[in-house]
Amino acid sequence: MADADLVVRNDIRSAMWNPGGWKSLLSFFILALAWLAGFSARLFAVIRFESIIHEFDPWFNYRATHYMVQNGFYNFLNWFDDRAWYPLGRIVGGTVYPGLMVTSGSIHWFLNLLNIPIHIRDICVFLAPVFSGMTSMSVYLFTKEIWSPGAGLFAACFIAIVPGYISRSVAGSYDNEGIAIFALMFTYFLWIKSVKTGQVFWSICTALSYFYMVSAWGGYVFIINLIPLHVFTLLLMGRYSQRIYTAYNCFYIVGLILSMQIPFVGFQPIRTSEHMAAAGVFALLNAYAFLKYIQNFLTKSEFRYFFIAAVTFAAAVVFVAVVGLTWAGYIAPWSGRFYSLWDTGYAKIHIPIIASVSEHQPTTWVSFFFDLHILVCAFPVGAWYCIKNINDERVFVVLYAIFASYFAGVMVRLMLTLTPVVCVLAAVAFSKTFEVYLKDDSPKQNQKSLDENGENKNDRLYDKVGNKKKVREDKPQEEEGLGINVKSIIIVALLMMLMLFAVHCTWVTSSAYSSPSIVLASYGQGGSRTILDDFREAYYWLRQNTDDKARIMSWWDYGYQIAGMGNRTTLVDNNTWNNSHIALVGKAMSSNETAAYEIMRMLDVNYVLVIFGGVIGYSGDDINKFLWMVRIAEGEHPRDIKEVDYFTPQGEFRVDAAGSKTLLNCLMYKLSYYRFGQMQLDFRSPAGFDRTRGVEIGNKNFDLTHVEEAYTTEHWLVRIYKVKDLENRDNLKTPHRPVKKSRRKSKKSSKKIGSIKNKPKVVKGKKSKSSKAGSRSGGRTGTK
Amino acid sequence: MEALFSIPFSLLECPNLKLKKPSWVKQPSAMVVFAAVLTSYFLVTGGIIYDVIVEPPSIGSVPDEKGNSKPVAFMPYRVNGQYIMEGLASSFLFTLGGLGFVILDQTNKPLMPKLNRILLICVGGAAVVIAFFTCRVFMKIKLPGYMQA
Repeated sequence: MADADLVVRNDIRSAMWNPGGWKSLLSFFILALAWLAGFSARLFAVIRFESIIHEFDPWFNYRATHYMVQNGFYNFLNWFDDRAWYPLGRIVGGTVYPGLMVTSGSIHWFLNLLNIPIHIRDICVFLAPVFSGMTSMSVYLFTKEIWSPGAGLFAACFIAIVPGYISRSVAGSYDNEGIAIFALMFTYFLWIKSVKTGQVFWSICTALSYFYMVSAWGGYVFIINLIPLHVFTLLLMGRYSQRIYTAYNCFYIVGLILSMQIPFVGFQPIRTSEHMAAAGVFALLNAYAFLKYIQNFLTKSEFRYFFIAAVTFAAAVVFVAVVGLTWAGYIAPWSGRFYSLWDTGYAKIHIPIIASVSEHQPTTWVSFFFDLHILVCAFPVGAWYCIKNINDERVFVVLYAIFASYFAGVMVRLMLTLTPVVCVLAAVAFSKTFEVYLKDDSPKQNQKSLDENGENKNDRLYDKVGNKKKVREDKPQEEEGLGINVKSIIIVALLMMLMLFAVHCTWVTSSAYSSPSIVLASYGQGGSRTILDDFREAYYWLRQNTDDKARIMSWWDYGYQIAGMGNRTTLVDNNTWNNSHIALVGKAMSSNETAAYEIMRMLDVNYVLVIFGGVIGYSGDDINKFLWMVRIAEGEHPRDIKEVDYFTPQGEFRVDAAGSKTLLNCLMYKLSYYRFGQMQLDFRSPAGFDRTRGVEIGNKNFDLTHVEEAYTTEHWLVRIYKVKDLENRDNLKTPHRPVKKSRRKSKKSSKKIGSIKNKPKVVKGKKSKSSKAGSRSGGRTGTK
Repeated sequence: MEALFSIPFSLLECPNLKLKKPSWVKQPSAMVVFAAVLTSYFLVTGGIIYDVIVEPPSIGSVPDEKGNSKPVAFMPYRVNGQYIMEGLASSFLFTLGGLGFVILDQTNKPLMPKLNRILLICVGGAAVVIAFFTCRVFMKIKLPGYMQA
């Protein structure tokens, strides 16, 4: 008994002194803490506001997830959404990447299986923070494969808090990118693994992970181009091997077939130019392998000629085949979004709808520093180490770094794909530097630290263990003599920077990336906070007070929100697949009222919704976006809308008295500023002073003829107008109008109510002005 | 296989020409690759693509109280806007910080006199620290509320 006890204790002791055990324990704790820190850092929005879905696209994802949870997966795939893109509708199942919905749906299903009742909304809100932890795990694995476990720990900690990734994965931003970055890094990890081992198992895993990525995000195209590029570069560098052949062929074949199972992707992988590089490399790799095989039968001199001829021939055949098929129409050429990555001016000239999205703008230096901070300096250093000690998998990282940084320069949103590789390479740089500067120059005295020294030096990187060890052994420093002081100064400086990096990340997260943008907060002098909840107020009004089938026209930014929160039919939304439909809405907004009324009648619009920030100084309102509406409308209707008409002769866009007449009379202007001319915000400024643009508006007193105000929110942020029916014909003595369905739940004050309820013949004059003001003064302040 | 391979040569006569790879086509060395990467990185982080597309002026100007126009280097309050020079200046700092790390690595070579080593360490450390803190200063000019509250 005592013996057994002793044995156990000995076991424990030996385990305690076993450096491998400590190492894995430490790694485990660091990773767990990274997960926890990453999760908590993303909760600012939930704590400050509430557990709510953010922004625009997440609202659609949430609505789709909700539908899927309620109706089942197959009904979701067959879902025809008649509430979007009226009158066209949208086949949701075929135009969506279902990975996100399926992920949260299966989590929901699993939790319900365990009898944990949780609303699907909460799962949607917290999905991205949870996945950020999994992202840091996969980044750890990736870095471990290409460099060392110590660098992996650094990388996991970096990716957990780096703002470039947090910007897309805070709680509530329920978007594809949140899970796609995990899938991206995990696929790359598996790919590195399969290149290193050459086993079929790992390449099949790569293909499966790639399948998940395809189902989650359109950015999978990045994978299917980067991996072939890696293989191609390896071929060029003469690093071909059996492992690469196995890895790529298995991955390509299985991945191709799997990716075609996603309805939205369909036959694209064999029909579009974005995927042709992968097919070409597949052919090339097989030709190369065949030649290698031939080599066994030929003499060296014969083979040289044959080889050059055959490779040229194979490359030419692949190239001609791709070009020919493209020309014949079997392969679709590059789509606009990808084309604009190469020809950066393309979108600006040809596709205003792509250029109009703010996250498609080119990147400035501030974004780099803001999103990456110190890592932006360490990034090239990591590339330097990788290039200096090159091997098969580091070629991949270098390629990834080069392409991702170029793409990030072209579009702000692609900063997201750059961020993981920046974390990896910066981790390599920091790990290597710490390794150099924490290592003692002195020879080791006892054998214990000797055997530790071989594998374990990375463990000293991330906390004071290394420092202490150094301090402990600082006596015998004479021979190298390179003062421990100099080294420790460097170490302290680097640690300080890392600390400031963490502070910066927290600050950026809390101040820039944690706003739901549905609920706005403004801060007063003494730190008091005012919540502006106008958006939800307006959408709730729509939900409660309009007919179930009412059609709402707004600019496309708000389409998903109207559908998600207001549950009403929209004309255009954030899935900008139909440019001409959007252009029609843009044309209506930028025409004068009469012309707009025709378009609105044509499109069967009941209500118009505009966002107006002039009262509270909200800069993202429709007037500021207005030039894009004009540009997009001009792209489709160049004869009716001309951008120059909306500028002053000096080429300025201004809404005050000096603004162009076309602008001051267009529908968007009138809807935004209706009755605003009578409103005085404070005593220092004149009536009708627009706070966002800082001017007094130019056209103050006007009436609306074809639309009437239906609702204006508390801070005038959202204004809803009802489109009037056609006027009655005056000479008709006995009005006999068919009862229309859409009238049933419409507002009490509309003139049609009068005509049914009261039998006295109401002369349908423009009574609406007085009745409108009476009916809903409740929700509005300070209008008098 | 030999027979198959010689079929075309029964019809064609091999021209007697010597095709050599030109001497300058060879796999570039690591330093060359890194220099290319660093240069392009310098340009990209400086927002050169933004400069090409948006075409901002190289330096902005604001009128001061006397009505004279005064040059300003930074476009304040705008995260997604910049002048050309400020972009280049800050990407220079990013690169400087990166080179500082490289210099710190270079000090680790075994055959190096002690004085050189200490000097190099100082230079490298100073480069990293200066780059980092200057970037912070730039950031404060750009966003005056940076890291406040």
